[in-house]
Amino acid sequence: MNGVWLEVPPGSVFGILGPNGSGKTTLLSIILDVLKADVGNFLWFGEPSSHEQRKKIGSLLETPNFYHYLSAVNNLKITLSISGRGNMEMIDSVLEKVKLYERRNSRFSTYSLGMKQRLAIAAALLGDPKVLVLDEPTNGLDPVGIAEIRDLIIELSKKGHTIIMASHLLDEVEKVCTHVAILKKGTLLTTGDVNDVLVDDDLVEISADNLDALSNAINDYGHGIKITRDGNTLQLILPKGTAKLDDINNHCFSKGIVLNHLLFKKKRLEAKFFELTNN
Amino acid sequence: MLNILKTEWLKIKKYPAFWWVMGITALTYPGINFMFHRIFLQITSNENRAGKIVQALLGNPFALPEAWRTVAYFSSLFVFIPAIVVIMLITNEYTYKTNRQNIIDGWSRNDFMTGKFIDVLILSALITVLYALVALIIGLTNTTDATADKWHLAYYICLFALQSFSQLSLAFLVGFLVRKSFIALAIFSFYFIVLEPIAINILKYKFNSEVGHYFPLEISHRLLPRPAFFGKFDEKAYQATLAAVKPHIGYTLLLVALTWLFCFWLNKRRDL
Repeated sequence: MNGVWLEVPPGSVFGILGPNGSGKTTLLSIILDVLKADVGNFLWFGEPSSHEQRKKIGSLLETPNFYHYLSAVNNLKITLSISGRGNMEMIDSVLEKVKLYERRNSRFSTYSLGMKQRLAIAAALLGDPKVLVLDEPTNGLDPVGIAEIRDLIIELSKKGHTIIMASHLLDEVEKVCTHVAILKKGTLLTTGDVNDVLVDDDLVEISADNLDALSNAINDYGHGIKITRDGNTLQLILPKGTAKLDDINNHCFSKGIVLNHLLFKKKRLEAKFFELTNN
Repeated sequence: MLNILKTEWLKIKKYPAFWWVMGITALTYPGINFMFHRIFLQITSNENRAGKIVQALLGNPFALPEAWRTVAYFSSLFVFIPAIVVIMLITNEYTYKTNRQNIIDGWSRNDFMTGKFIDVLILSALITVLYALVALIIGLTNTTDATADKWHLAYYICLFALQSFSQLSLAFLVGFLVRKSFIALAIFSFYFIVLEPIAINILKYKFNSEVGHYFPLEISHRLLPRPAFFGKFDEKAYQATLAAVKPHIGYTLLLVALTWLFCFWLNKRRDL
């Protein structure tokens, strides 16, 4: 890591994005005392890090790490014993939440990858911690599982939990995160409110029966417009806050073109991500 | 501390391999001593002259108080069996990456190492209890002299405990450094059974050097001398062996302290 500075607002869902090898897991490993940083420091709850503070944080780092010969229940008893979060009844309830209750007495070694990931999420949720650190939480999950975890994160966020989440699934981050940081080769490229980071241009999608005529007509629109063709639509990129759909519609109509498609789109995280990381 | 002990118990109590190896240990310690006892009985029960000579020469190493020393010596040769448990308990943590999870969940690195220290301590205590029971049972069933001071050599229980803890601590160190169970087991067994004994004998007989007495396992191995009848073959050498016990208590304590200080120090510094 190189000079990374971040502040995670309480109650936010903070997404950490970056290509492979950008330092997402390294960053989370440092704040969880798994890796030692050469220099620099970090605070938890406004205080220097300590193992007592880690007990208040539900964490899933990289892979589900459990004793293979123990069942889900017995593994969670160890999590409970170390962290002091929750109680025996809560073990059943988190296992129900991640849909592992039926297999709670099976050995961890008999679980599929998705089930192992669910158990890791259950361990992080044990005791309803106010802060969660989730490194690629949907790894190994099927589409239904991914949607369930996404809903769970949104639900926890609504209840005021703070969630720090590393992911390379941009769609996932875009759907659940309130804040985002983008890393590349250990360097922080940008961070902030997800809308501030993602929206720096207005993107409007238009279409008509005759795309060539539409393209010629919209060229005269002005306002620093950039036009690209994408299949049967034209993508119009305008400076942030200048796209006015009724203006565009009127302009085209005055040129004799009737639009059959007009859509204002937020610039997608994927595009922004590629732009920032030069991929 | 109690919480660490409870957590370690949760890790161990449903670990089948632990109970298997403990079962093997529980069979081996009495088994090997009863086997040597049986051989001794076979030799000395001969009514011929040779049997009488052997009996006069050996005395009865399985009668109290001598049984404390005899059983300690034979039992100590098999410390590599509980060493398997020690190595498994630490290498498992690396194999399953649960050492990181324990830290992530809220243990300090010292808590983690304290847990392992407690494991080795308890295991040493368990095999010491096993040794003491075997020595007592064999000793009581073989003691015919009603005037014998049965508890005279009972301090061998402490020496056995110290030796076991020292050697199991070294097994732990190997597991802690190597991290892979089979490689750690192979290295420890090879060193314990082959390398160190050969190196000590080469140094002794070829180079006339006693530096081998200070090799990691030999330091504590010298806490438990051979049974007393060996003194009949070379009284001077046997007395020297007995005299070496006291200083080796100090060396062993020092080695144990250094071993664990190093483990705590390294665990605090290295990435998980």
